Amino acid sequence: MAENLMDKANDILERAILAAAEFQEFDQEQTDKVVEAVYKAALNARIKLAKMAVEETGIGIWEDKVWKNVIGTQLVYENIKNEKTVGVISYDPVTGISEIAQPLGPIFAVTPVTNPTSTAIYKILICLKARNPIIISAHRNAARCTGEAARICYEAALEAGAPEDCVQMISAGSRDFTQTVMAHTRVALILATGGTGLVKAAYSSGNPAIGVGPGNVPVFIDESADIPFAISSIIRSKTFDNGTVCASEQSIIVEEKIALQVRDEFKRQNCRFLTPEEIKKVEAIAVVKESMSMSPFIVGQSVETIAQKAGITVPLGTKILLAELAGVGKDFPLSVEILAPILAFYTAKDYHSAIKLCIDLNYLGGIGHSAGIYANDEKRILEFSQLINAGRIVVNTPTSQGAVGGTFNMLPPSLTLGCGTGGKNITTENITVKHLINIQRVCRRKMNDKFFSIDRSKYMDENCNEADLRFEYHKNH
Amino acid sequence: MFDFDFNPEERVLTCFFKGRQDTVLSNQIAAELESKYEELTENEDKKALLDFSLVFDVKEVSFISSSFIRLCVAGKKRVKDGSFSIQNSDPFIKKTFKIAGLDEILNVL
Repeated sequence: MAENLMDKANDILERAILAAAEFQEFDQEQTDKVVEAVYKAALNARIKLAKMAVEETGIGIWEDKVWKNVIGTQLVYENIKNEKTVGVISYDPVTGISEIAQPLGPIFAVTPVTNPTSTAIYKILICLKARNPIIISAHRNAARCTGEAARICYEAALEAGAPEDCVQMISAGSRDFTQTVMAHTRVALILATGGTGLVKAAYSSGNPAIGVGPGNVPVFIDESADIPFAISSIIRSKTFDNGTVCASEQSIIVEEKIALQVRDEFKRQNCRFLTPEEIKKVEAIAVVKESMSMSPFIVGQSVETIAQKAGITVPLGTKILLAELAGVGKDFPLSVEILAPILAFYTAKDYHSAIKLCIDLNYLGGIGHSAGIYANDEKRILEFSQLINAGRIVVNTPTSQGAVGGTFNMLPPSLTLGCGTGGKNITTENITVKHLINIQRVCRRKMNDKFFSIDRSKYMDENCNEADLRFEYHKNH
Repeated sequence: MFDFDFNPEERVLTCFFKGRQDTVLSNQIAAELESKYEELTENEDKKALLDFSLVFDVKEVSFISSSFIRLCVAGKKRVKDGSFSIQNSDPFIKKTFKIAGLDEILNVL
């Protein structure tokens, strides 16, 4: 069995390595031609793929998945199309250093069930732009739609002259096989987007990995905020694709002095505060208590479906279910990340208590991911940002769209968000093409005159201290 | 070096710290705290676990050193049933305990 898995992995990697070998001969023009063709084909398939994704996974809203596909194709393409990724990408005559981009080789990419087509297309685009073949492992519940996205991209790439097998897909049915491929010596890099277990497996494989995991996004509404605007923005974000974006709001934190106004505004904008009894019912279906993790059965479901599963009644057109909680952690299951239109709501007695709650929520499974603040007080924005451990702190912006970038701010559009060492990641950046190239530095001889002009005997003299040596190094010659 | 308030009915000792709790100050405070513990305990064995609760109030504290954190851990261990808390922390102090992984153990409020 194990041998069979290894044979299959060897076959896939042999194909990928041949594609990598051919790809490294491509110049920038050939590369860009491939990327442009893939972008065009994927953008043209945005609606078909969105519908397929919802039909197959039962998660999210097809119209929002169209937007996700637009972000993963058009916005990503517009962001990377002019990037130099082949040959000499920079030269600084002052330092005499040239930078040369080299491809990494075969990239093993894992895609999630929540964004199965957009993440696949985005990863294909950034891999091909860097001249790396890609092997996609789709989520087992999204294999058809991810496969179709990969097929469309691959055919367009081939048509534009890309190497054979530059895009391959494996079935994620077998965890053992995924791990066998991950650990294969010919994999240059793993690009893993998913849960904690997947990210850990990627980093444990022995191959370099960019693995980005879960979030638990706290959003603080300051007294200086425009409250109706803030609530409208939060709703726009949390309802987007039924809350499946890992950067979507998870908790709203307000000070007591504005709590009533915020509550009223949520209600006015068709959100529903759950009663304590209803909270218990929603907890029971939304969170697996033993592991304190969200139930997969409510991911990306509508308010109506969640209400039905929980056995509660909500008015037609309710946008979000809010649960007022008194604390954070295992006694308050709805304080964990839930990728569905359910929000935890906290009232703190003052500003400091509110920020401390945000810190607790931030550390409850979402360190390094994203956070949000609505405020018009720059001092508070900066203080919040320094206190929260998040790769992205989005200000007066829906966090789903804001963290992904490309629409509400100038962050690079990306469907894989680095969470820094807090999230066991190597970077806090939005992952894009620059993370998928090796940069060689050609360092021409540029003598350090200061170093070569010093009286070297002084460094051998025990009587010379740091001040003497500093003077020696900086003196005018 | 710090103010304190002892509530004999509820048997709670609250210690009020101020300013920068750096290593030098924290080391000095350790001795002072110990003599206060011994003075207030009704236990004959003055080195035994304390028979009252302990609260460290850090409202006026602007900086804590690792020595001060050790002082808090020692306080927690010194109290019978571990009835210890840190109150009135500002968010930066809270974050320091969070990063040290001690905010829950020390009941940082």
